[in-house]
Amino acid sequence: MLACIRCGLCLTSCPTYVLSLDESEGPRGRVGMARALAEGQLDVTPVLVEHELNCLVCDACTAVCPAGVHMDPLQVALRAALESDPRSAVGPARRRWRVQLTRRLVFGWLFMDLARFRLLARVLWLYQRLGARWLARHLGILRLLGLERAEALLPDLPRAFVIPHDEVYAAAPGAAVPALASPSVASMGPPTPGTERSVGPAGSPGSERSAGAERSTGTPAAFFAGCVMSTALAEIDRATIRVLQRAGFELRNPARQGCCGALHAHGGDVARAMQLAKANIAAFEDTAGPIVVNSAGCGAMLKDYAHHLRLDPEWSEGSKVFSARVRDFSEVLADRPLPITQQLHAKVVVQDACHLLHAQRVSRQPRDLLRRIPGVALAEIDEPGLCCGSAGVYNITNPVQSRQLQQRKLDNALAACPAVIVTTNPGCLLQLKSGLAERRGTVRVVHLAEVLDEASRP
Amino acid sequence: MTLAADLRALLKTSRVLDAPAELRTYAYDASFLTQLAPRPPDAVVIAASTEDVSAVMRYANQHGVPVTPRGAATGQAAGAVALGGGIVLALNALNRVLEIDVANMQVFCEPGVVHAQLNAALAPHRLLFPPDPGSSRMATVGGMASTNAHGMRAVKYGPTSAWVLGLEVVLPDGQVIETGSVNSRAKQSSAGLELTKLIVGAEGTLGVVTRLRLKLMAIPPARAIVLGLFDALEQAGQAVQAVFGAGVSPSAIEILDERCIQAINLYRPAMALPRVEALILFEVDGNPPGVRWDAERVSEVIGPFAQHTEWSDEPGRINALWEARSVVGAAVGMLRPGSNRAYCGEDICVPVAAIPETLRAIQDISARHRIPIATYGHIGGGGLHPGHLIDGRDPDEVQRVLRVADDIHHLALRMGGTTTGEHGVGAARAPYMAEEHGPALEVMRRLKRALDPNGIMNPGVIFDPLPLPFELPLAGPVGEPASTLAALDPG
Repeated sequence: MLACIRCGLCLTSCPTYVLSLDESEGPRGRVGMARALAEGQLDVTPVLVEHELNCLVCDACTAVCPAGVHMDPLQVALRAALESDPRSAVGPARRRWRVQLTRRLVFGWLFMDLARFRLLARVLWLYQRLGARWLARHLGILRLLGLERAEALLPDLPRAFVIPHDEVYAAAPGAAVPALASPSVASMGPPTPGTERSVGPAGSPGSERSAGAERSTGTPAAFFAGCVMSTALAEIDRATIRVLQRAGFELRNPARQGCCGALHAHGGDVARAMQLAKANIAAFEDTAGPIVVNSAGCGAMLKDYAHHLRLDPEWSEGSKVFSARVRDFSEVLADRPLPITQQLHAKVVVQDACHLLHAQRVSRQPRDLLRRIPGVALAEIDEPGLCCGSAGVYNITNPVQSRQLQQRKLDNALAACPAVIVTTNPGCLLQLKSGLAERRGTVRVVHLAEVLDEASRP
Repeated sequence: MTLAADLRALLKTSRVLDAPAELRTYAYDASFLTQLAPRPPDAVVIAASTEDVSAVMRYANQHGVPVTPRGAATGQAAGAVALGGGIVLALNALNRVLEIDVANMQVFCEPGVVHAQLNAALAPHRLLFPPDPGSSRMATVGGMASTNAHGMRAVKYGPTSAWVLGLEVVLPDGQVIETGSVNSRAKQSSAGLELTKLIVGAEGTLGVVTRLRLKLMAIPPARAIVLGLFDALEQAGQAVQAVFGAGVSPSAIEILDERCIQAINLYRPAMALPRVEALILFEVDGNPPGVRWDAERVSEVIGPFAQHTEWSDEPGRINALWEARSVVGAAVGMLRPGSNRAYCGEDICVPVAAIPETLRAIQDISARHRIPIATYGHIGGGGLHPGHLIDGRDPDEVQRVLRVADDIHHLALRMGGTTTGEHGVGAARAPYMAEEHGPALEVMRRLKRALDPNGIMNPGVIFDPLPLPFELPLAGPVGEPASTLAALDPG
């Protein structure tokens, strides 16, 4: 925070500044207000809290800052401090109620245990299948509850989820397996003995692609299944697993893993975020190789554990080791052969997820992977670094700005006339899908794993 | 009624801010002066039309309220901060490109258009607005005109003033005038006093620019870069003179001193630059055969002075050669981890022949005050940007860097140069104007009074300095924040 030299380089990268052209809606202003607050020169007021909470924590400003200011940890610390301050209640009562409810119920209970998350997903699955959705939509109940937009974001839920239970997905037969993984991966420690591995029961959701209990010769890796990814978007998790298998990875899906905690941290609930972080660090302790994640938002958070726990004597070392192992799906595939069997004759654009592009500085790899598919014509879009407005639960807490950014992103993407929009994050995927559904276009929005799965189908 | 309430009643489409938290975010620009002494305005108007700007000026003139026009506030001289209170008039939301006149190679636009975005809009027409400030990604063209920004290509293409054909200006009494060929589209004129040139560079002290007609050129089809490494600063200076003498007109000549080179090696060890006193990058542009001839000629004439030279017109190699320049801003912080740039005494310009001596003198100042300084700049025009690295939490270092800035400003004047080559005077350099201009400053004041008799436009800037920044109290206990938010600084 003290590092900010107020040069203003961050301004035009910031989605809320671009929308409002108001300094107090930009990174330099937010850092300035936070500092003035810390130095006792400003009080906590609704206006201040509103401007700070309008931040999407997309890290676009961090990526361009020449002075090394990191917005994400700054916002996490600020929100944690504001969380306990009664003066920080802002907005109309209805919105406050919704935000409070979201925090207590969703972050405090739901996301703390993947089993509860799966239970809710199952209930929503029933809601979609049993005609209740049709009723709710047509009777205007959703509008009455102010849940219309949130509900529209909900994807069609799959019947079977990916349930991590220490199963191992062997490298696909014939997959090209390098003798050693890339140096950065190889240096992450020796592979753990295969004896600890177990395989989920045949036919159970998520294990249907399991290659069996015999030892495989693939490159060891561990899979971070994610909460939304393993339930609402379980098909993408399965596609990810298949692609990694075909690329020669032997993938383990540790049982005790859970939510990454990003939503908690960005909501100011650092204690619960760290509770989840420690559980994940412990869950992956006995695994080997890179920890592969297919959700950019989760990946950024997992890579940040080392920062968040740096002062915790018990966990600082473990978190450092853990974070150093985390790789986005596209990163681990970038320098590995993947047998491409299909063609895709389509114009494709990449919608860079902020937490991949800005927070993890990964942009080349997804494009390089797509270029491997014959027929793909890759195009670039305007304002590629501007957030789509999803940003965790931002589309629920800040619906106005979220929608403006969603529409702007779609305008930019569609101007390139693509047939397919590829992204790497569940939030972006759902945000763009719901926006496109309104426009009734034929453009498909897919996760990178889905495209690669299709292209490498045996 | 309060000021903000009055303004809200008065304005049709513009936004008015007056919450303390919001005002705080308009209390500074990039200058070290406003870092030490941020000054929130009493109200902010985010202007949405010329009509509203005119209404603000009429009101302010009538009530004697100071008005400070503001673009993106990326300046380093405290020129867009209401140091005397009053209204900050933000023009960044007036950001439309109104017309691209391809046939006449002109663009008509509002002042809040960001420089990089303007050139992005012109690129499909193969047109370019050539002034190129380092802050291209955030600086507005209104701010560039108001400070007469130069940038590194000024050595060939001149400053912003050379590219402004005409302006729409709201005078301090609210009257809207048009200067130059804002409507005629003529590319030249001898009709009367050049009011356009008077307003450009006036830093918002004479009126508010609300529209600009800018001259454009075709994007040069080719460019090449020549890199030269020099064991001694004097040889670097001689090399630049030899290039000009050889009849080549480079589009940029950028110098990096020894400290910069050291910083780049820390930031990008793979570049492995040798330990030399100066690195110079020459850029030449134009048609492809001419560019190659120019690049070879530059290499040839700097050869006798340089330890090493190389050139390329291949786009990939150009980027590799240019990398040292493009990373230097971020790299200088590596010289002292945990430190930050303090923008003061950061923009002098001296005669080209005096650059080696000036660079050595800057290192003496650095040693005297024990503040690391890495200097780079546009050696072709004599502009130098000394980058001072300080720990802002140390009050003693704060005092020392202010003395560094003072010494550097006096050094520039002693060398026959100026205290600001391209960033502007602002409030930060107003104390040096009497020394720099002598009796001419009084003529400037008379002009100012003629246009702004009530002195409401950007007081404290250029003409009549406010008290020196180091006599002002520090902004707050930067060392030990008192509240529970102390943990906010992540690193």
